[in-house]
Amino acid sequence: MSIALQTLWHERSRYAAGVLAVAFSAVLIALQCGLLLGLFKITSIPIDHTTADLWIGSTKVQSVDLGKPIPMSYLSRISGIAGVTSVELYIANFANFAKPSGGTELCFILGSNTDRGAAGAATVLSPEQLDALTMPYSIIVDESDLKRLGFLDNPDGKVKINGKEVKLVGTVKGLKSLAAPWVFCSLYTARQLLNLIVPSDHVTYLLARCESPERAKAIAAELRDKYGSDMGTYTAAEFSYNSREYWLLRTKAGIAIGYAALLGLLVGAVITAQTLYSATIANAKEFAILLALGIPRWRISSMVMMQSFWVGVIGVALAYPTCLALRSGAAQVGADVDLRWEVLVGTAAVTISMALISGLFALRSVRTIEPMSLLR
Amino acid sequence: MIPWAGSSSSPSLQGVNLVRTYGDGTARRAALQQVTLNLYPGQLVLLMGPSGSGKSTLLAILSGLLEPDSGQVLAADKGQLLDVWRLSAKQREQFRRKHTGFIFQGYNLFPALTARQQLELVLMWGENVSRSEARRRADEMLDRLGLLPNRHKKPAQLSGGEKQRVAIGRALVKNPTFMFADEPTSALDWENGQKVIELLRDAAHQRGAAVLCVSHDHRILPFVDVYYHLDDGRLEQRPLPVGP
Repeated sequence: MSIALQTLWHERSRYAAGVLAVAFSAVLIALQCGLLLGLFKITSIPIDHTTADLWIGSTKVQSVDLGKPIPMSYLSRISGIAGVTSVELYIANFANFAKPSGGTELCFILGSNTDRGAAGAATVLSPEQLDALTMPYSIIVDESDLKRLGFLDNPDGKVKINGKEVKLVGTVKGLKSLAAPWVFCSLYTARQLLNLIVPSDHVTYLLARCESPERAKAIAAELRDKYGSDMGTYTAAEFSYNSREYWLLRTKAGIAIGYAALLGLLVGAVITAQTLYSATIANAKEFAILLALGIPRWRISSMVMMQSFWVGVIGVALAYPTCLALRSGAAQVGADVDLRWEVLVGTAAVTISMALISGLFALRSVRTIEPMSLLR
Repeated sequence: MIPWAGSSSSPSLQGVNLVRTYGDGTARRAALQQVTLNLYPGQLVLLMGPSGSGKSTLLAILSGLLEPDSGQVLAADKGQLLDVWRLSAKQREQFRRKHTGFIFQGYNLFPALTARQQLELVLMWGENVSRSEARRRADEMLDRLGLLPNRHKKPAQLSGGEKQRVAIGRALVKNPTFMFADEPTSALDWENGQKVIELLRDAAHQRGAAVLCVSHDHRILPFVDVYYHLDDGRLEQRPLPVGP
């Protein structure tokens, strides 16, 4: 065991505050980021829960809910390309939802082909639900939105979208909404409900399936090259990422999270620096002997830095199981904490760096150590 | 082993006309006034004097820890005389690393480290030797001090006398030319104190080190080769007591 680690273990009660401060910072950062990522996953639900490889829409669409209508004639640009196995029409837009209990709510219409295995049909829809949606003006919503849309208060009341009466034929689970509840329906129904926004010879997206995801990338590049001026082509992965990023930046939630994480880091850094400082001062006489014996000061500094590194590593090691436990706690109340590896690795990198920077601040304690103090 | 006491005619460390004052203006006080002192290899030199007489100041100046106001500290190194206080700070650090060992009243051992590791640290950090080499030399030294069975013990598991012997081992393990001991027996009972002073004498007589010991303890006198008394910044060599 290294001398730094041995000292850390021997005087663990002294270093505990620093280790806990690092763990606290790491938990705070990982959970905040995880919660945010979990929350903004909602914005890309239409992409993540369908099976299209390519989304073709208007140019520079920043998020799936911001696509402008494009001419259906673009279909011919895509269907002829080698490697494209199918293309479907997709209509999506915001609409005004008149609740059965009275009052209105904004909703987001997702109108797709209702054939089994269609690229635009949400994967959570059962074959029976897809069949039910073929009935004009039938809709399906997520069960978490039933209350918001007034179905619980008056199950038999009239429901209208953009002034047209619709019928709820089923519910799904796990497709929660943020700004506006998702409303799943057939392409026909969507066209009827959105006829004032999406002209009859237009759609919002064309969804293509390709031979492979790699092929999809190449086709996307090809289409962008050819038609980039008036048509946007996005792979499902990049469109999903763009949608989440757009909402993250648009809502400034990232900044709020950033501040919270920064605050956590600062608190952690101050406590860690203070812990390392006082631990070094506590061993000042032992270090002073080493200096008297001619051992260079940098040896002592590097030991303090090693200690700060280990404080960081142990803090992160404590933080990970805590995060996982808190994630399952959050899942119990329906909050999704997305602790993907990037979050965990990023948190470790940030907090261990913080511990090292705290170590640098604690080095001033090493500068105050003088062998002469042993003779006074 | 051939005793070294008095066998070498040239000093290995000389303090020449050393002056050191503390304070300013009317509060100015001379800690050392034109003090000249030679340390010879193989000699255990005792420096006594009342509190505040400048003993620790003299030890600090001779060992390269405290700069004198004037005067020189000359050390013999490979046939040359080095003026310790004209060396750069880095060179002086190297000088201390190569030549000097220290023992203080407090043992100042790292609480987390075993007896063996206290010695290994000095060798690994000071001389850049490998861990295995440091371990071999540390064990050899602990064996000489009768501490080999205690090599895995941490300071909290050692008695005061054992701790001071580990501290002596830490100072001796690098085979220093000069040993400086500041009140090394004052925290010990006489039985342990006697062992410590015998070890210092062995360092001088058997290893050829020049040992300067600052102490209040008159019981040390029969063990030393030379006895100096410092009072009010002035140094005076005094005769050693005769007989056992």
